[in-house]
Amino acid sequence: MTFDLEKIIESKRAMRSRLAALPIEEKLRMLDLLRERTLAIQEASRESPKAGRPAPNA
Amino acid sequence: MPVREVIQVLNSMVEDGVVETYAIGGAVAATFYLEPVATIDIDVFIGIQPKEGSVVLDPQPVFAYLAALGYRTEREYVRVGDWPVQFLAAGNALVVEALAEALTMTVAGVPARVFTAEHLAAICLQTGRAKDKSRLLQFIEGAALDANRFQDLVQKHGLTSQWKMFAHEFLEEGHDV
Repeated sequence: MTFDLEKIIESKRAMRSRLAALPIEEKLRMLDLLRERTLAIQEASRESPKAGRPAPNA
Repeated sequence: MPVREVIQVLNSMVEDGVVETYAIGGAVAATFYLEPVATIDIDVFIGIQPKEGSVVLDPQPVFAYLAALGYRTEREYVRVGDWPVQFLAAGNALVVEALAEALTMTVAGVPARVFTAEHLAAICLQTGRAKDKSRLLQFIEGAALDANRFQDLVQKHGLTSQWKMFAHEFLEEGHDV
């Protein structure tokens, strides 16, 4: 665990490289899962559209 | 794998002569070169010929073919398995070229035509929405582009000023693809 921003950015970059290098079959399986997750988030947002938003100024 | 089902349907469209060719674009195509890029649909560019004596492209045979296979249309999409698929005609010279020069990749033993990384990046530059700029940056940071080939496309398709603006806004001085 570190709060060094440069190390965090480098670590993220390395993780993205690892993901990019995965076999395409595996990446497409991840795409399917990402899509399911995105749709679930969209559905939840529709059910409670104000969740997570600050209250508007009176 | 649901994306595989889509690819099989696309291949059968070519085999049955419904379309001349196809290529996957957008986020799904980008995933062939980058880390998985979240999306809720699949963009498929198709090559179809106008009817004899006409210059207007008619996509109706495509939708009729898919309907006969049991796939239903939802707004501008056709749902193939879990995925909404958007069929798009090649609307400008860059996309026409991207379709013609698409690569054939193999996915779980099935061939799939996919835009090249350089064409995808050039289309991002041309389209220019925030998410396109973000994706272009992913291509650059991921060293996923052939720099000469990308710059050739930028020049050939009149994207030099967009590229200069993008580079000024997002890349460090002296940084190139």
